Amino acid sequence: MAAVAAHQLGQCITCHAWNADLSMVAVCTNNNEVHIYRASPDGNSIWDRIYILQKHDQLVSGIDWGTRLNKIVTVSHDRNSYVWSLEGTEWMPTLVILRLNRAAICVKWSPRENKFAVGSGAKSVCICYYEQDNNWWVSKLIRKKHNSTVTSVAWHPNNVLLATTSTDGKCRVFSTFIRGVDTRDSTVGPSGDMKFGEQLVQLDLSFSWTFGVKWSPSGSSIAYVGHNSTIYFIDDVGPSACAQTVAFSGLPLRDVLFLSERVVVGVGYDCNPMLFIADNRGTWSFVKFLDEKKSSPASSKYGSQFSEAFGKFYGQAKHGANIDAVEPSKAPGGSHENCITCILPLPYPGETTVKRFSTSGLDGKVVIWELSNLNNLFSQLAI
Amino acid sequence: MEEKEEGGHERMMFVEAENAEAIIARIEHKSRQVERLLRLSRHTEALKTALEDSPTRTKDERCKSANWIVVHRVLMASKDVDAVFISLDPEYYDILMKYLYKGLATGDRPTCDQCLRLHEKLTEKAGLGCIVRALADTTNTV
Repeated sequence: MAAVAAHQLGQCITCHAWNADLSMVAVCTNNNEVHIYRASPDGNSIWDRIYILQKHDQLVSGIDWGTRLNKIVTVSHDRNSYVWSLEGTEWMPTLVILRLNRAAICVKWSPRENKFAVGSGAKSVCICYYEQDNNWWVSKLIRKKHNSTVTSVAWHPNNVLLATTSTDGKCRVFSTFIRGVDTRDSTVGPSGDMKFGEQLVQLDLSFSWTFGVKWSPSGSSIAYVGHNSTIYFIDDVGPSACAQTVAFSGLPLRDVLFLSERVVVGVGYDCNPMLFIADNRGTWSFVKFLDEKKSSPASSKYGSQFSEAFGKFYGQAKHGANIDAVEPSKAPGGSHENCITCILPLPYPGETTVKRFSTSGLDGKVVIWELSNLNNLFSQLAI
Repeated sequence: MEEKEEGGHERMMFVEAENAEAIIARIEHKSRQVERLLRLSRHTEALKTALEDSPTRTKDERCKSANWIVVHRVLMASKDVDAVFISLDPEYYDILMKYLYKGLATGDRPTCDQCLRLHEKLTEKAGLGCIVRALADTTNTV
């Protein structure tokens, strides 16, 4: 259970996305370009840069690669979005005007890839869809629902419900039903009657910023994280929802991934993925860190980034001086050396449980992880 | 719509003002219990009692400072810092961290020294997440 491969692709990676057969990866290295590598999740593969997508004027903040139609959508702080399609050997951009007055932050294709959602700093979410008649992508806004920047968006498998997290501390679920794009039969349950932009749920569990919302594979549960070192799980989303709050001893998380209905991996400022599992009774708890090279940051030694600061903090109290004796910062020595901001599944064909995933972060690395002995772990925990 | 909200807000303030007396009465009761426990040298129990039912939700400063006086009394009476933590349950870690930062904010030398000693022990036990939660929560303050 550990990192299979680590690829240093730049100084810092804002986001990355894989194509359908995992033979290419698109990354943004903290600038206005998107680089596409010929890649593979295998351990000993060598990645080559094959395309550079250059159209945005400012930092690219979100990339998503549609696996059905092989289109890439990118959003940027320049408030625009491009949908890229491969024509011959060239990636051709189509501009999507989002009608925002602040930066776009995140983007996700809907499961059927006929819509995509963009979270923004303008306290709004754009739902974009293609209008055949005008040959044009249209952006429809969900306004006046968020009180601050939308940090993350996640689509329910039914292609209509959208979950968002925001720096106002809330997690919300909206209907994004668009006449002519969605059909009534595609919606499941009560969401079929919902109008576009209607808010179904508002979760007010966190007192600080929230990030990284995801639906479970079946769409019955939601997980998201707060910037107060807490992760929130909501099972049976709907009238009889059950919310659980799990506070942990490490630094806050930034993104989460459901490996199955009952297993979640969280990544964030501890630079080490955290595994959360729900037991037989459905109680979620933190199980372990996945990167084995490092000692737990909860130990008395602390992450080295902090030892210096803590030394000064306590040193003064004890001796009043002697600050210089404290050791300077060192790299933590794990697979990631800085905050992990993005986690994506790398599914094996035909398998429902995700056993492989990739992470990227502020250290400029894309790391591939393989959970080979997940079943052993389950039997140990008697789940 | 706006008027309605205003009315609701006023009503809430009224309820709070009424509650403040009840909260202070409870804190006074707590204070007597704490004194009794301290005389018996049961420091951990005294700390738990002081931290329990802390008025974090109210905006009333009188309630907050009344509870701080009780917590401060226990913190300063705890000479053996390690012993305090041996039987302190994790559920008290977050609220204790908030009070330690309140203590550090006073700038009073003996209080700060004691709070730093406790802070080091508490961080060992509860991790950095506990600090992050204490700093990030601007709604439930002590």
